[in-house]
Amino acid sequence: MVLRRLLTRLAAGAPVPVLPVAGLGMRDALRELRIRPELRPVDVPAAASVLVAAGSLPEEFGDPLALLHDGMPHPRAVVWWNPGNSAGPLLRRFADPTVVDGSADELVSAVVRVRRELYSGHRPSSEPVLAETGRAPWEGVGPYGQGGSGMTGGVPYGRPLAEVAPDRDGLRLDVVPLTVGPFFPQFPPGLRLEATFSGDVVVDCLPLVNPFVDIAHHALPVRPGLDVFFRALFEPVPIAELELARARDHLVWLADALSAHGLPALGVRALRLTHELEGTAAVPGVRRLSRAIEWSQVLRWSTRGVGRFDAAGRTSLGGCGPVARAAGLPDDARMEDATYRALGFELIVQDGADAAARWRQRLAEVVQSLALAKRAGAQRSEVTGQVESPRGLLTAGSAPASRLLPLLPGLLEGLEWGDAVATIVSLDIDLEEAGLAERLASAQAGAT
Amino acid sequence: MLLGPLGVALAVFIAALMAVLLVERAGEPAAHGAPSPTERVPFAGVLPPQVHAWSRYHARYYVMALVFLVFDMEMVYMYPWAVVFLREGGIAMVEMAMFIAILLLGVLYAWRERSLEWS
Repeated sequence: MVLRRLLTRLAAGAPVPVLPVAGLGMRDALRELRIRPELRPVDVPAAASVLVAAGSLPEEFGDPLALLHDGMPHPRAVVWWNPGNSAGPLLRRFADPTVVDGSADELVSAVVRVRRELYSGHRPSSEPVLAETGRAPWEGVGPYGQGGSGMTGGVPYGRPLAEVAPDRDGLRLDVVPLTVGPFFPQFPPGLRLEATFSGDVVVDCLPLVNPFVDIAHHALPVRPGLDVFFRALFEPVPIAELELARARDHLVWLADALSAHGLPALGVRALRLTHELEGTAAVPGVRRLSRAIEWSQVLRWSTRGVGRFDAAGRTSLGGCGPVARAAGLPDDARMEDATYRALGFELIVQDGADAAARWRQRLAEVVQSLALAKRAGAQRSEVTGQVESPRGLLTAGSAPASRLLPLLPGLLEGLEWGDAVATIVSLDIDLEEAGLAERLASAQAGAT
Repeated sequence: MLLGPLGVALAVFIAALMAVLLVERAGEPAAHGAPSPTERVPFAGVLPPQVHAWSRYHARYYVMALVFLVFDMEMVYMYPWAVVFLREGGIAMVEMAMFIAILLLGVLYAWRERSLEWS
């Protein structure tokens, strides 16, 4: 009993392993949990103790969310961050979720309290949402399930064996179809990729339709970081505000990308920098971070020559912002704005067209945006109807992600899975931004 | 010593085993028994796999594994050679140089055939 009490106290005092799931507009707020010492965000349900969902999720994510919850080991609990009563209908699928309507501090306190109650036995572990089907019987031709087609015959435990197809080395080996996402930790939120693998090589792949386009949500929440770019479509906005938001967005991408590459401590450094952008220490801080990234041999190995666009692929990159500029294309809507030109705005381009070039491009653009924000004072942008978002040309009805998604099959096929993930990370595909742009166009068409 | 070195090692092993079993038993109420089928499925962003996990794939590292084995065995061969070298002197050195030269030819051949490249 003494040992049990000691273990319980030790477990309850450790940082809470939480599995964050961000709904519309809540991505940035949930990301901030990474810098809270009380919590330890994890990537997979097997490592989590508390599922923290925030805001509204598309209804088609209902079953995936339930599977995410059911995949967590006991004792487990659900905490739903629900500012402005934004949770939506998926909240009702869970038996006894803790709902937090207040600030991030209240969310953290609730998560810590829930975990303590779980370990002290004052709160029961959350029951599975979906019925457990258990093992299916082994189906084959013979009386003991043996025989049939495939490697050993039969259908072991309800799942058929993989089909055989030629691989890139001329061998005939098994190909495994798998849908990756929508909660794959290294992917942009919501991205689902229907892929076929031969070992760890992507044979073919197809990104599924953007779930944020047809989301049934009338009051469309916009992420705070994106808000200024959508406002710039309709009215002149302060350039300083635009450029600070761009620098912040690139650093937030950097934080996610560093975590995806297994460097979470550097990711937290990038995240902390987003809070210091208006101070004088911002540029030196970004330069120090850039140097740390350049010195990382791991990052060099995993990005150099990876996900490279060939000459034909580069022609499809119009309007793809930093991805296009990293491939050497002079593609930036800011060049068409007279105020930017008067501020001395000059295009930065790279010549690599690979993932490493895209990393360098965004780091250089953070420093450039901070300088522009400083010089701009109170000046406002002139051009409306289109804006250069942190990911490329944004208009009502068209966003960079909708241009990048069709390029994925050509870019990923034949890559090893690690390189494929590094490529997707380097493209900064924002399905939420694309969904908002398409819904904006629908709303405008409905109004006229 | 009462137990001797073997006895001490055995006592430490049994004590460690008891400690592990004790900690595991103390954590049982939290663990809720064996994991469910959903908890056991490999995680690929939630959606369950469509085919069984038994599949034949190309183990691309096998050439490197073979090259490693060859040189690993060569290293093993060097231990007894070191003893003979003390007794025989220069002639043993020449024999070992010949042995390594033959192996080196094999490596150069593998290198020319591009067998050492990862994919």
